[in-house]
Amino acid sequence: MALSSVDSRLLTNSIHHYVVFRRPVSDFRDSAVIITLVGLLCAAITAFLGFFQAPLVNPDSWNAPGAYRIIYWHVPFAWSSFLSFCLLFLGAVSWYVKRSERGWRMVVIGSELGLLFGLGVVISGPIWGSVEWGVPWDWGDVRLNTYALLTSVALFLVMSLRSQPDGEETRDTLAAVGLFGFILVPITAAATTIWRNRHPGVILRESEETGVDPEILQVMGFGAISFMILFIGLVLLNYSIYNLRVELESLNREIDKEGMK
Amino acid sequence: MTAPCRPNMPISPLAQVKGIEVHRGASKVLEGASVNLGAGEVVSVMGDNGSGKTTLIEAFAGILPLRSGEVIWHERGESILVRDSDGRRNPPPPMGLTLQKGGISGEETVSERLAVSLSVAGIHSHEGQIADLLGYWGLRHRSEDRVAHLSGGLRRRLSILCGLAPAVLSETPRVVLLDEPSEGLDDSAKETLKGWIRALSSRNHGILVATHDKDLSSCADRILTIEDRILSESTGESLGEPSQLPEPVQSSEQRAISSLIRWSIRMELRNPIETVGRATPAIVAILLSYALMMDYDLQSHDSRLLAALVLAPAFIASISSPALVSRLSESDCGRWWDAVSGPMARPAFSISGASILLPIPVTYLSWLVLSGSVDEQVSSEVLTWLWIPALAMMDLAIASTALHLLVSDLSRSSAAPAPLLLVVMVWPFLELTDALSSIIDNGMTWGLSIHDPLVTCIVASLLSALVWLSAVLIPDY
Repeated sequence: MALSSVDSRLLTNSIHHYVVFRRPVSDFRDSAVIITLVGLLCAAITAFLGFFQAPLVNPDSWNAPGAYRIIYWHVPFAWSSFLSFCLLFLGAVSWYVKRSERGWRMVVIGSELGLLFGLGVVISGPIWGSVEWGVPWDWGDVRLNTYALLTSVALFLVMSLRSQPDGEETRDTLAAVGLFGFILVPITAAATTIWRNRHPGVILRESEETGVDPEILQVMGFGAISFMILFIGLVLLNYSIYNLRVELESLNREIDKEGMK
Repeated sequence: MTAPCRPNMPISPLAQVKGIEVHRGASKVLEGASVNLGAGEVVSVMGDNGSGKTTLIEAFAGILPLRSGEVIWHERGESILVRDSDGRRNPPPPMGLTLQKGGISGEETVSERLAVSLSVAGIHSHEGQIADLLGYWGLRHRSEDRVAHLSGGLRRRLSILCGLAPAVLSETPRVVLLDEPSEGLDDSAKETLKGWIRALSSRNHGILVATHDKDLSSCADRILTIEDRILSESTGESLGEPSQLPEPVQSSEQRAISSLIRWSIRMELRNPIETVGRATPAIVAILLSYALMMDYDLQSHDSRLLAALVLAPAFIASISSPALVSRLSESDCGRWWDAVSGPMARPAFSISGASILLPIPVTYLSWLVLSGSVDEQVSSEVLTWLWIPALAMMDLAIASTALHLLVSDLSRSSAAPAPLLLVVMVWPFLELTDALSSIIDNGMTWGLSIHDPLVTCIVASLLSALVWLSAVLIPDY
């Protein structure tokens, strides 16, 4: 069967991609999917270990000792979201300073993962807080509020990335919002916390002096590694999706030109 | 007919772009483009749809971020860097600018719009001059009409006139940037346009026209064609008879920012949608609080609850989306102001578009309605000092407006969830709640410890100022 000019162009493009990158896009995506699945599996194992293997904490020191088990996801969520927000911040700086395409990719991926992991923090935090502190939210808690605001910035970016046409000015504005969130939020949160004192107290001190069971630390360590694998898998997956989007856009442009001839 | 040319005459440059690279998304629109616009030159920019004609005009005006290169204007022998790829930006000298979408808000009247275009360029015209200019373009009888009431063709005529008039009345050579001026014009208006362009050229003004119209580009001295991001140049025909133009007048110093502030106040006075839009939810909040809390003895609860209820209506009024944002988004009006005012447009708009006066009366009204069960002596003390947190609410309103303006930079700003960024304003609000709560509990104290109301209000103002600075400075870097 004879190929249409569009089909042959698509074929040429795929060959070009193979020649340039020495492998088809799908190979890269397959590795990303595998790493993500491993991360998800390990995260599920972390939850299992947290619920059924990790020892109970001292009931005299905790208002709701059973509820503490949420930290096996809550804390890794927080670490992963912090990494995502760092990615977003570095990407925004890189876009601003060098107009770097790689920087922009970091903004896109950082905001998507920041939203995912940030939501994990701000959903699991109040669930735990409501039983441990008696209130789901505390406006004086620097960590909770910082993450809530960074998550809202990430949500803003993700929604805007989907609704706005891609362009230099759109990128400038969204990178500015990324910088705005990262620079401003911790500063205002810290300043507010100095003036306000509502926090019920530190919940968990990760040191031997406070008598945290080593088994708890082991499970938390496993959780941290699991979420790190998940984070890496999702970064790679988002990266390959972004590349596919760019490739699709470039093919669409080719077809647009074809249509005019 | 061929107008007299000035072949081989050295032309002093009025504006130039040097090696600019401009991207739209991931694709390059212009690459290494360098164009000089000299005094007395008419340059036409041609190319297919999406080839980058508008991009070149907007790059000249300094409103597009550059990947590389710089935009330099020349004024009285001085070179002014209008924009470069390192983010440096300065206001351009007075110019005439007609954007593709016109850049005019529908709220303005026809004569007002023309007067604003002239005053931004430092030309203070009287009514007679405005009427004369409108007469040339068949708009005199419409001078008091709002632009929104004009037909598309008349609107286009007005936007072209506003682009040409600052040069027409200027004694010194000016740059005129016209983006698709003949679009939507009838034949007679197009003839007028060609005549005015040739006449402006004979008065040594430089005109850059982006157009598809071969008839219009026939009056150009040079033709730039953009194809696959690359500019090529050819000699134009310089056709057309110069029209008789009004005499230039003496111009004064350019006052774009004061014109901009006066413009936004005038728009609000004409159609107070801003005041109504902010006051309505505030009053509804007061009434709702009253209806829900009338059976509670607020004094027996933590005073923070009463303080939060009293300040909430002013907070709601302060963070509402300013009407200015929608005025600026109409027909690229904001981009026009951005081009003629330069980097100071954003701070000026964030102040003039904020709800500066409303928080004070709303907070007092809220206290009077909700403080029924409060001891009379306490109430009197609060009434004496309530203006302090209400005043700090002004800073919060200015910071919120700056955030709304940041979001309005997006081309589909109505599709962007701006309220998500406003969450940060909760903290200054909570500080003010603490301050008012302290005044209710202990009366006004003038101590400088961190829990004293004065210090708490200052912290709230500083937090708002920090938000404002970030929202105003980062995007224009």
